[in-house]
Amino acid sequence: MSQTTVGKARASKPPSPWKPARPNKKLNNPNAVLSLNGRWGFLFTAPFFVMFLIFGLAPIVFSIVIAFFNYDALGTQEFIGTANFEELFVDTRFWNALVNTIDIWLLSTIPMLIMSIGLAAVLHNPNLRGSTFFRTILLVPNITSVLAIAIVFGQLFGRDFGMVNIIIGALGFEHVDFIQGTTSSHIAIASMIVWRWTGYNALIFLAAMLAIPGELYESASLDGAGKWKQFIYVTLPSLRNTITFVLIVGTIGGLQVFAEPLILGGSYNGGDSGQFSTLTLFLFEQAFVAYKWGYAAAIGIMITVIVAIVSVINFFITRKLAGDGK
Amino acid sequence: MSQAAVKEQTLPRAKQNKKPRWQRMGFFGYASLIIVAFLSLFPFYWMFIVASNGTDEISKIPPTLVPGPRFFTVISNVYEALPQFNQALLNTVYVGTVVAVAQVFFSAIAGFAFAKLNFKGQKFMVLFVILTMMLPSQLGIIPLFILISQMGLMDSLGALIIPALVTAFGVFWMRQVIDAQVPNELLEAASIDGAGVFRAYWSIVLPIIAQSSFVLGLFSFLATWNDFLWPLLVLNTPENFTAQVAVNQLKSSYAIDYALNMGGAFLSTAPLLVLFIFVGRRLVRGVMDGAVKG
Amino acid sequence: MVVAQQLNGEATTHKENLMSKKLMSLKAAALLASAALTMGVLGFISPAAAVVDCTKATTSTNECTVLTVNTFGDVIQPALVADYRKLRPDIKLSIKKSDLDALNGTGLFTQCAAGGAGNPDIAAVEISYSGFWRAYPQCFVDLRTLRNTSNKNASDIKKDYLSWRWEHGVGYNDSVIGIPTDVGGLEVAYRWDLFKKAGLPYQRDAVSKAWSTWPKFIEFGKKYVAKLTAAQKKANVGFIDNIGTIYPAIMNQGTEKYYRNNGTDQGQLVYKTNKQVKTAFDTTVAASTAKIGTRIGQFSSDWNVGMSKGTFAAMLAPAWMMDYIKGQAPATKGKWDIADIPGGGGNMGGSQLTIPKGSKNQQEAWNFISWYLAPAQQLKVFQMYGLFPSTPSLYSNADLVGFKDPFFNNAPVGKIYADGVKKLKPIFEGKLQRCIDMAMGSAISLVANGKEKNAKKAFDGGITAAGKCK
Repeated sequence: MSQTTVGKARASKPPSPWKPARPNKKLNNPNAVLSLNGRWGFLFTAPFFVMFLIFGLAPIVFSIVIAFFNYDALGTQEFIGTANFEELFVDTRFWNALVNTIDIWLLSTIPMLIMSIGLAAVLHNPNLRGSTFFRTILLVPNITSVLAIAIVFGQLFGRDFGMVNIIIGALGFEHVDFIQGTTSSHIAIASMIVWRWTGYNALIFLAAMLAIPGELYESASLDGAGKWKQFIYVTLPSLRNTITFVLIVGTIGGLQVFAEPLILGGSYNGGDSGQFSTLTLFLFEQAFVAYKWGYAAAIGIMITVIVAIVSVINFFITRKLAGDGK
Repeated sequence: MSQAAVKEQTLPRAKQNKKPRWQRMGFFGYASLIIVAFLSLFPFYWMFIVASNGTDEISKIPPTLVPGPRFFTVISNVYEALPQFNQALLNTVYVGTVVAVAQVFFSAIAGFAFAKLNFKGQKFMVLFVILTMMLPSQLGIIPLFILISQMGLMDSLGALIIPALVTAFGVFWMRQVIDAQVPNELLEAASIDGAGVFRAYWSIVLPIIAQSSFVLGLFSFLATWNDFLWPLLVLNTPENFTAQVAVNQLKSSYAIDYALNMGGAFLSTAPLLVLFIFVGRRLVRGVMDGAVKG
Repeated sequence: MVVAQQLNGEATTHKENLMSKKLMSLKAAALLASAALTMGVLGFISPAAAVVDCTKATTSTNECTVLTVNTFGDVIQPALVADYRKLRPDIKLSIKKSDLDALNGTGLFTQCAAGGAGNPDIAAVEISYSGFWRAYPQCFVDLRTLRNTSNKNASDIKKDYLSWRWEHGVGYNDSVIGIPTDVGGLEVAYRWDLFKKAGLPYQRDAVSKAWSTWPKFIEFGKKYVAKLTAAQKKANVGFIDNIGTIYPAIMNQGTEKYYRNNGTDQGQLVYKTNKQVKTAFDTTVAASTAKIGTRIGQFSSDWNVGMSKGTFAAMLAPAWMMDYIKGQAPATKGKWDIADIPGGGGNMGGSQLTIPKGSKNQQEAWNFISWYLAPAQQLKVFQMYGLFPSTPSLYSNADLVGFKDPFFNNAPVGKIYADGVKKLKPIFEGKLQRCIDMAMGSAISLVANGKEKNAKKAFDGGITAAGKCK
């Protein structure tokens, strides 16, 4: 999620890898300090590249290769071309996982976006007392482990004796079986994600709001715009880029969600009937329960493709927004 | 956006000291902040409540919401179930610190090269770094396991440290930081004074990026602390466990004892909360700085 | 090490093995040096000093051997670990617990694929995975090649164990890869006080008789549910904890499940035609339709709490479940009883202890396994924790047959489970057992959770999904 930083930086800073301002086309790095000997660059980046190639890239490349194999790790490996992918496209479990993933993403992203912008607006108020305190508290959920939190949430969402259901019961409603239900399990998982990231994103939005010139508000105020109108006409438009990026980074994270459903369900199957199986969880299930490493690798490639498509869409939306945003 | 553009033209005429209406802090503002603060902290409080009362007590209707007397019993049960729990915490601190320092070091020198040096293939390399950030790391977990095992690192803390020494994200982050915070003029001036690349990096870049390095280090430390799938895969001996594997160990008995689980979760989280008391404000600044940078 | 050498003839090779590890020998040398120094300074050089405290050891040294064990739940019972420590102070057991699928999938399988790297010295393989591992004997040490301190290898102790349980640990190449732990003989644990309150038979013989078949069991449940108050129904109170447990129970009462024992190692896949599968599925669906279950997931927090609050009055209980109930619902002591399972006989759970190929302490691992699973120790485990032994010589042992448990209303649990286990017929466990089980399990969940109204469709879906197993 901290990629948000990257995203934002990319959005508004001209010398970015996507939109390099090119004072000198011949240079490899147009922003470089030319009086420094550039050859040292190889030495400085070498440790990173060597280690990254070995421990980051090589395993992924290996996985991409075995996606085209019927890969029995303890037996024989046989090249089968695109058969894994063909099987995947007609595998209802894959589509189920995709739908679940998107559903969980929607259920988490939308409330999170609204709440974090709302929180940022409140924190933006210069008259707020204890603003440092509140900002700090908001970041607390972000630093804790998914494992510890899933244990707590799993207990809170228990059907009969979980706190959430005790409250629901006290309000006179029927208890909800959060784990067994499809939508309800998605809500339980989404709530963990929302809990974890709302404060973090609120800080991102707050930073973006603080960058809006105060004069915009003052003049709006002079024009008779109330609090709400100022928010709609001044704040929100200025946040467009930030919203896009929080959204997109949330999507990339959301498409790879697995820790929350894994711990909540206690197994890789994502619930008794796969009601909260997600794409990455499905990958793990195929790899570690069904032992179909080739198939699992094919799923991984599909996840990457989906992430890439979203990123490309992101790229164009951002360009467009950045283009007429000024 | 046209709205904002229109307003922008009217900019210079407003210069008032009186606080405008929108800035008044209403009841709802405070109420919502307090609710969110409460919800943010509640799960931690709940860990403590369950760990100090026992599962039965908190399953009453209405549930018990105040700490009970059993906390030390539960904690001693945790240590009885897994005598190596303290060792696990120490291991995590050790791995987290090594990984954080290494990531900052390697990211800073590579980030510096990418931001300020001109060398062949630089553009391509940066693009490469960015593209690899999009690959889901879970994809490579099995080959990585085989690789690490062939290096003889299985069931050692090295299995956690070695693959985590560098990340594409860290390098990119540092590149952005150095790009934004270190003025070219300073470096040029230094090199005119005869400083080489090393000197320039050491005496100019490093002091400027110290704060941001600290934040990157903190995030690496937290990520390492909270990682659980990989450590679970490669660690076998309780003496080598990390905090998360230790918590998982408590969870993996037949008799699921929620008090015990929560006690373990609490023990694994408490050090982070204590750390957060000291560095929380810096982390907040780090997150917000990152957001507006550039 | 003195002790170790006396006890096993292969200690020298074991030691050489150890020393071949560069790092380890370095560490050992350093430790020895520092130990010698300390002892020298303190003037403690005496034979007694040879018995070192190995509980703090993290890696094997000259004095201490650390045996790493990968297991789940409580397969290795703490009290017996303490016993073994007294017997062999130079051995330290270092236990890592995982969830069942993780133990096999991210553990053994991946380790074996990596040539045994990262292997523990001992791994527990649950029965649902035993069929799978029989197909890959190359991942394990052939236990016929090791001899324990009494000079016995696996073939020598084979006669001590139930023959059909023994088969679960025999690889396709006839090597012995695992020794059976307990038998999860299956009966029904029930709350006699709640039965009595509902005006139903509550004495164990009467109860056993009243639900002698599965349809009768469902009828019994319906009567119980009918007596519940509206408030109880709203609070999801039911008769049995989870009807999903009925399916595997019935499956295990037949002579074959998904495989037919056709004399080959692989067996023949018969799940598409085996009537038992359909019967088990339909009966489970009938129980679901009759709404006798609470639909609480086993091992969830609600389940644990429900056990002490009477949210359900009956649960299918393998022998090992008794200890679980005691641990979770101590306040209900005396209110439980054990009755025969409908249909008679049943098995759920049980494991094999194996030595994976990459084990660095194979000899000591075998010493421990052959001790831990010997009849004497199995009897103790039964008395302390309720796990039912896989060694038939105990089934006529007075200590076992006469064992009564006050927690379960003084039910003669020893006799009940012994009778049940005797009725068990050997069932062939094939490679895809676990995978097919999970496919059918999720088909049942679809019906039980009302997501699929058409049971026939769900069943066909399950069979199709099982077809994806390979």
